[in-house]
Amino acid sequence: MFSKVLIANRGEIAVRIIRACRELGVRTVAVYSEVDRLSPHVLEADEAYPIGPAPSAESYLRIDRILEAARRSGADAIHPGYGFLAERAQFAAAVEAAGLVFIGPSSEAIAAMGDKTEARRRMIAAGVPVVPGTAEPLVDPDTAERVAVNFGYPVLLKAAAGGGGKGMRVVRGPDEMRRAFEAASSEAAAAFGDGSVYLEKYLDGPRHIEIQVLADQFGNVIHLGERECSIQRRHQKMIEEAPSAVLTPELREAMGRAAVAAAAAVGYRNAGTVEFLFENGEFYFLEMNTRIQVEHPVTEMITGIDLVQWQIRVAAGERLPFRQEDVRFDGHAIECRITCEDPLNGFLPSTGRIRRIDLPSGPGVRWDGGITEGYEVSLYYDPLLAKLIVHAPDRAAAIERMRRALAELRILGVETSAPFHRRVMDEEDFRAGRLSIRYLETHPELLQAGATEEALRAAAVAAALLEERERRRRTIRRIETSPAASASAWRNMGWR
Amino acid sequence: MRYYVTIDGRTFEVELAPDHVSVDGTVVRAELAQQPESEIHHLLVDGRSYPLVASRGNGRGNWVLVVDGHRLEADVVDERGRAIRRITGASAAPAGPKPVRAPMPGLIVRVDVEVGQTVKQGQGVVIMEAMKMENELKAEAPGIVSKVLVKPGQAVEKGAVLVEFEAIAEAG
Repeated sequence: MFSKVLIANRGEIAVRIIRACRELGVRTVAVYSEVDRLSPHVLEADEAYPIGPAPSAESYLRIDRILEAARRSGADAIHPGYGFLAERAQFAAAVEAAGLVFIGPSSEAIAAMGDKTEARRRMIAAGVPVVPGTAEPLVDPDTAERVAVNFGYPVLLKAAAGGGGKGMRVVRGPDEMRRAFEAASSEAAAAFGDGSVYLEKYLDGPRHIEIQVLADQFGNVIHLGERECSIQRRHQKMIEEAPSAVLTPELREAMGRAAVAAAAAVGYRNAGTVEFLFENGEFYFLEMNTRIQVEHPVTEMITGIDLVQWQIRVAAGERLPFRQEDVRFDGHAIECRITCEDPLNGFLPSTGRIRRIDLPSGPGVRWDGGITEGYEVSLYYDPLLAKLIVHAPDRAAAIERMRRALAELRILGVETSAPFHRRVMDEEDFRAGRLSIRYLETHPELLQAGATEEALRAAAVAAALLEERERRRRTIRRIETSPAASASAWRNMGWR
Repeated sequence: MRYYVTIDGRTFEVELAPDHVSVDGTVVRAELAQQPESEIHHLLVDGRSYPLVASRGNGRGNWVLVVDGHRLEADVVDERGRAIRRITGASAAPAGPKPVRAPMPGLIVRVDVEVGQTVKQGQGVVIMEAMKMENELKAEAPGIVSKVLVKPGQAVEKGAVLVEFEAIAEAG
């Protein structure tokens, strides 16, 4: 095992990695930008080194400064977390060139999965299902019709030179093909000077379901089941759960096998995630994330396997002690991402100093956070402040537990996404497990204020009492009464 | 003392008597307690418990409350204040629709309106870049643009007023 690990990250994931290291008896080294001097990851690590000004391009993305901090601290490995440098093959290579261990896959595996065309080619070769599409432009509408029958309708016509939705047409049946083909082709010609179009299978309302894999350096690859992350906004996941409400054991096994094949195809080691789109019992490879993911805790909760610890242990050369058949799933877990975005105001980023945090606790509740009271939420980094995770015996109980935990959570100083999550927990389609990546588009009411009559009345009473108290205080100040008298005036209000 | 409390477009009549509180004529027992030196309050109405966060709003009689996860803005006036507003013709809200302010520091990408233009509620007015994302700032209420205070490329601080409006005159 390593003696000292440097964490090339900040926020909640840096804190999460420090926790894993502590439990493994490994010393930790934080790096920080100027604005993060008092951030939780700096306060909790055994050592900390400054790496530059606030903008990440001048600090958390500076490979040279991070390696210098590693050298000064005598760290023997670097954990990249997610984001920042985590999926830059060049960083993994630089860490190894410096004689340190990169807690992640080889730079070749990162590069192979980072190149979408190359990844798709390798997945097809490994027998992993991808969204069916034509490799060559279509010559005419008749060819398009023949191909479409093989893929099954609906299909999507796409300009070869594509972008911005121009030259794109959804075709729902053979009778629509000729017109759509001509429209897409002429639109593409006008927009890009090239009228050639491709065709691929169109997924109407797919779910996002991903498989967690774990691989050691000895070719052992296992999967730890799925996470459903269909609730997204602008491709950013907001709520994740495990298991998915729709996977049968057979589908789970099939997807798990595909994910293991995908990882093996690039000689993968480390924890990793193979993302799929899922519709009508079919699944299609989307991409592989060659790092720990934000939503890893839901898998940890239902498998009892500490993914971050295993990243470190595998990197240190340990062999996975469990085989596929040893992996057991227990209950249901849900994660809500608590971001500094105001759901009632178009999810605009909200900045400011956190004045107070009251954290939920009690049975089955986990908080993976990167904030403290007094923490200044800035615009320099990711809006993710923390993750609230619950674990319960089944999905219905997990939803109730999340509602309860969200009601206990109180963050003062910035607006957060928590009110949005509370509404989703009450929303009928979510509760019934009817999800798709278009969930937010189809539920715009979740983004509107909707206080109950009862809450409004209570607020009215409170506002009147507050105003009355305020006015009495002003009066008392005017007649120059002592502060003690002002306090007792409040006490004497007594509306009982 | 009788207060008129407007929240979310609804007005409640709350009377505070020495021995009771009445809301729209219904007598309730209400007690509000505050954690020392904090915005954390706790309201009991006939024994029902309402944890709430309360702080003063921008103007006199304005309060911002968080109840049951909902952020609510309350405007409180007494009878005299209401009478004065009636005479001066001012509505419960401050004169004219609220200006569009920068919700965070950032860069103005685009201004989509000009002075004299009529905007609908929810219409996009300014595009601002912050956190590497473009955010559309919308008009909170219908109005006529009276001032545009920023230009594309300009950096603004949190809370800066970007666009101001006048109320649309009622027909007749």
